[in-house]
Amino acid sequence: MLTPEFLKSCVENAWMIVALPFFAGFAIITSFLLTGPKLGAKRWFKTLAMCLSVGAVAVGFLHSLSILYALIMQPALSGYQQNFDWFVCENFKLSVGFLVDNLCASMLVVVTTISLLVQIYTHGYMREDPGYARFYSYLSLFTGSMLGLVVSTNLFEMYGFWELVGVCSYLLIGFWFYKNSAAAACLKAFVVNRVGDFGFLIGILLLYLATKDYWGGGTILAFLPQLGTTGADMASVLQMALQDHRLTPELAFLATSMPLIAILIFMGPMAKSAQAPLHIWLPDAMEGPTPISALIHAATMVAAGVYLVARAYPIFLAPDGSTNSIALSVVAAVGAFTAFMAATIALTQFDIKRVLAWSTCSQLGYMFVGLGVGAYGAGMFHLFTHAFFKAMLFLCSGAVIHGLHHEQDIRRMGGLWKPMNITGWCFLIGTASIAGWPLPPLSGFFSKDEIVSAAWHQSPLLGGILILTAGLTAFYMFRLFFLVFTGEYRGNTKAHEVPVVMWAPLVALAVPSCVAGFMLGFNKSSFFENTPAANPFGSFIYWAHPHQEVVDWTMVIASSTAGLIGVGIAYLMYYARTINFHKDIVEKQGPLYLFSLNKWYWDELYLGLVNKVFLPIFDKTWKTLDSIFVDQILVNGASIVTLATGEVLKYTQTGKGQYYALVIFFWVAVIAWLAFLTTT
Amino acid sequence: MTDPALILNVLLFLPLIASFVIPFVPEDKDARGVALFFSGAMVVFSLFLWSGFDPRIAGMQATTYINWISTPVKVDYHIGVDGLSLSLVLLTTIVTLLAVLASYSIEKRGKLYYSFLMLLTFSVIGVFVSCNLLQFFVLYELELVPMYFLIAIWGGPRRGYAAMKFLLYTFFGGVLMFAGLLYMYMQLMAMDPASATFDMTLLASYASKLPVNVQCLACLGFFLAFIIKLPSVPFHTWLPDAHVEAPTPISMMLAALLLKMGSYGLVRICMGFFPAFFAEYGPWILALGAINIVWGAMACLVQEDMKKIIAFSSVSHMGFILLAVGSLSNAAINGAIFQMLSHGLVSALLFFMVGTVYIRCHTRMLKEIGGGLANQMPILFYFWMVGTMANLGLPALSGFVGEVSVFYGAFTSPMALSASHGSWTRGWTYFACLGVLLTAGYMLWLLKRLFYGPEMEKWKGHLYDATRTERLVAASLSVMILAFGVYPMWLMSMYSKVGDRITHSVMEKIQISQKEKAETAKISLNK
Repeated sequence: MLTPEFLKSCVENAWMIVALPFFAGFAIITSFLLTGPKLGAKRWFKTLAMCLSVGAVAVGFLHSLSILYALIMQPALSGYQQNFDWFVCENFKLSVGFLVDNLCASMLVVVTTISLLVQIYTHGYMREDPGYARFYSYLSLFTGSMLGLVVSTNLFEMYGFWELVGVCSYLLIGFWFYKNSAAAACLKAFVVNRVGDFGFLIGILLLYLATKDYWGGGTILAFLPQLGTTGADMASVLQMALQDHRLTPELAFLATSMPLIAILIFMGPMAKSAQAPLHIWLPDAMEGPTPISALIHAATMVAAGVYLVARAYPIFLAPDGSTNSIALSVVAAVGAFTAFMAATIALTQFDIKRVLAWSTCSQLGYMFVGLGVGAYGAGMFHLFTHAFFKAMLFLCSGAVIHGLHHEQDIRRMGGLWKPMNITGWCFLIGTASIAGWPLPPLSGFFSKDEIVSAAWHQSPLLGGILILTAGLTAFYMFRLFFLVFTGEYRGNTKAHEVPVVMWAPLVALAVPSCVAGFMLGFNKSSFFENTPAANPFGSFIYWAHPHQEVVDWTMVIASSTAGLIGVGIAYLMYYARTINFHKDIVEKQGPLYLFSLNKWYWDELYLGLVNKVFLPIFDKTWKTLDSIFVDQILVNGASIVTLATGEVLKYTQTGKGQYYALVIFFWVAVIAWLAFLTTT
Repeated sequence: MTDPALILNVLLFLPLIASFVIPFVPEDKDARGVALFFSGAMVVFSLFLWSGFDPRIAGMQATTYINWISTPVKVDYHIGVDGLSLSLVLLTTIVTLLAVLASYSIEKRGKLYYSFLMLLTFSVIGVFVSCNLLQFFVLYELELVPMYFLIAIWGGPRRGYAAMKFLLYTFFGGVLMFAGLLYMYMQLMAMDPASATFDMTLLASYASKLPVNVQCLACLGFFLAFIIKLPSVPFHTWLPDAHVEAPTPISMMLAALLLKMGSYGLVRICMGFFPAFFAEYGPWILALGAINIVWGAMACLVQEDMKKIIAFSSVSHMGFILLAVGSLSNAAINGAIFQMLSHGLVSALLFFMVGTVYIRCHTRMLKEIGGGLANQMPILFYFWMVGTMANLGLPALSGFVGEVSVFYGAFTSPMALSASHGSWTRGWTYFACLGVLLTAGYMLWLLKRLFYGPEMEKWKGHLYDATRTERLVAASLSVMILAFGVYPMWLMSMYSKVGDRITHSVMEKIQISQKEKAETAKISLNK
């Protein structure tokens, strides 16, 4: 079955992974549009939609696994790409295509795995919803776009799919369109993402301006060279442009400067991956159905920003290829700030999904710090482990919400460990993993501690922030766990365990959440012998050279201790209830508490700017210039002048011959006089 | 049926014949059938024309040349198509058919209505296929007559004002164009009587030989006429008024086709004949384009009338064409042509969608509609979504192609790299990129205020979803928008030779003028 020829053809037909979900999504929407919404309520159509959608991604999942296997078995296949002309004129060509390399293959596996499990889970979660078929079509379109983003060969194509995942996220956040909150949230998500894309677009344009003469006949803005050729890829083109001084290595405003381009491009990831100050859409995006929060707003789409930075890493590097660059420092600083900020906000939230959303923001910050300090493998590895355990946490929260009949407030939960035992166990694994629980080491422990070590090595400030954040993370995650699953039940309905179609995906995700770190992120030499060595995953995905690192045991111990302290406080406050901060903090409404509860007032700032500043300014300017100046003064003014002139001149039309003769004589005299003046 | 020239002639005169035949049908309600028949036939003929078209040739094909007047000036009946004309002719026939289909809401004086509609189509096709400048001018002006009546008779409450405003603006533009035309002819006469001609195929090489200041002055007349039609800031205020008052199908025609007459003129006549004008004033035109994009988008954000939003968004999107012609880059010009066609489809869809909401709610004011329409109109909501997404430039829909290629082109144009205009060009392009953000804002906000949220009490049970006709019109437009967005080469291959040719001539002219400047500088130094 798995012959070399078969594996090769898997790689060469990787486009099918992208095409199948698109086909499924379009097929469902088209049949819906052709026959009307009544079709969506029919049972057979629901089943068909589900089968198409799940089938497409299941095939994609197997295909991705074979591709990954093919690349492990035949490393020469890595970097395979095909490009097709998309927009051609005489001296300009845009292409789209697909690329398969190690980074991309690993990402394909993650996306299809989670997508498959979420789509299965959806069957249980959305069964009663009238929009069941519609939901599956959006899910398929999203999966297709996300996979397209992963296999993009060039920056332009990635921008395209980047926007497509954005619009799918828009559609899915606003899935329950009759809810005001959902309507506001999806609008916000799209517009905030557009702010990032604005910078991203200008960054791409500047990059192309600087490098446009160096791509030769190859695909412009390509990440990697066509197999067997050299030249038309990002790293070498940037080097050529730098040598010819078309690209300056210093930071300069509005010029083709490499750090500026990188920072502008980074605006895209900042919006998509919810990094401050463009993070405000992600918590609101939780208005969408929970499977979406798991798939899009935790595991895949939000990680696309991290993937983009990893893919376009040569732009972010310093001119000499080292990781000590301005752009990467910005990436790391933004990541660290967001990690800390989001963790402080998560401490006080009461909505189960929002706590998880803020923790996603925070964990994405970790990944950016990883990439920013040069720990490429660690940053990407955290993306992967996080995708598994965070998707599982969200699906668990969905199970809780489902089990409690749409209750999301953790103040009305509690004591669910007994009635929802499977969910509880999975949630505990996820919580321990994200908190970096050291013994037994779960996946989050490995990925997080690698980042913390690398960050400390770069700058103790960054490392310190991350260690502090690790403590906060452990605290708020265990606060969530204790409030939901232990103590007395504080709600009104009767909780029940979810059906097997919903808990089976949870269990399936629990496996990688437990063992992925130990299998892929662990290397004996780097952990115990203090020698630089690469873990299997890092060296697999890093494109340039064996990726090496040392794990600093002091850091591991420091961050694990911080985590354990966090867990301990949470235990004392919310389980044993020996410390009662509630009275002192919540009821006192201190400024720090309110600052955290109100999410650092970002929303108020932005909404104030838009509603109180921008829109009134637009309104005033438009009214003054268009309605008053152009329309009233110029246009209607001209017509009034015309009318008035006519009013005056009509009195000259007397019909008396002698009057006309007088006028004629007068003008003849004037002309004669003028002629006399000019001739003399 | 194989002679392309014959097909083109038939295609041109078919709507004229229709406009004479329709008044003689016995009943008002039969007029629609006849109009459908004729516009269907036009689509068939234009597809025939397309099948016989050779995209590898940059020049005119399927030409007919008949001498009409020989003294004192030579005026001919001269028609033909190249890739640019043909793609616009195809757009015209398709949008006309859809506009006739969308005219189900017209209830009074059907015969007169369809007759005017066909006359309008005649003049639009005529403008796109004319190879003689005087003929072009006459047909360009002819369009005023049916359009004036279509707005003034079938329009909304302020139709008199809107129709008059439209007439005056466009007529004013026509006067300027005529002045430019005469001035050009006189100057050609003065330069070399043999080169004095109205033949557009010849003018492309003759007019560019005129001295720079003469070219600029002559082009100014044409340029002003076309940017009034486009419309561009500050001559754009007729458009929202005309759109708001015009009935739905006429808005579709106005946005999809009539505005394209302006942009077509800009590319074919201004760029084709007077490259020196663009060499001199390119940066200013580029800035004007950027201002258009942002100004139109900004105005959209503060409108309460949904039709005005779409109208201002047309202003914004036509700014891309100005941006492209100002940047003189090959990619941008090709992108601008794509944008013309794509905007034709997208604006037709959006105006049609506005109409569907209007005939259900009898208001265009967003506050009165109050949101939540998706509840009873799920299918229309989908088509709205397609239109919205195409308008805000979502990849895989046609709006994206035009925008992104204009941006890439403008950014990497020869001007963006030149020492004197480089930062100016780049700066204005950055500014234009803001449009990407604002467009998303106003389009999605519009969608939210129409379809999202809870439904108002007064609409409960009073609305209905898309009818068969509505689904047909919207689906045809959506399919084309999707197809050209996914694979733009289908369209591009038709016209890219023309775009390349026009840019070439401009670039040559710039190089020549730079050389001349350098030489004159040398001479003055030697003295």
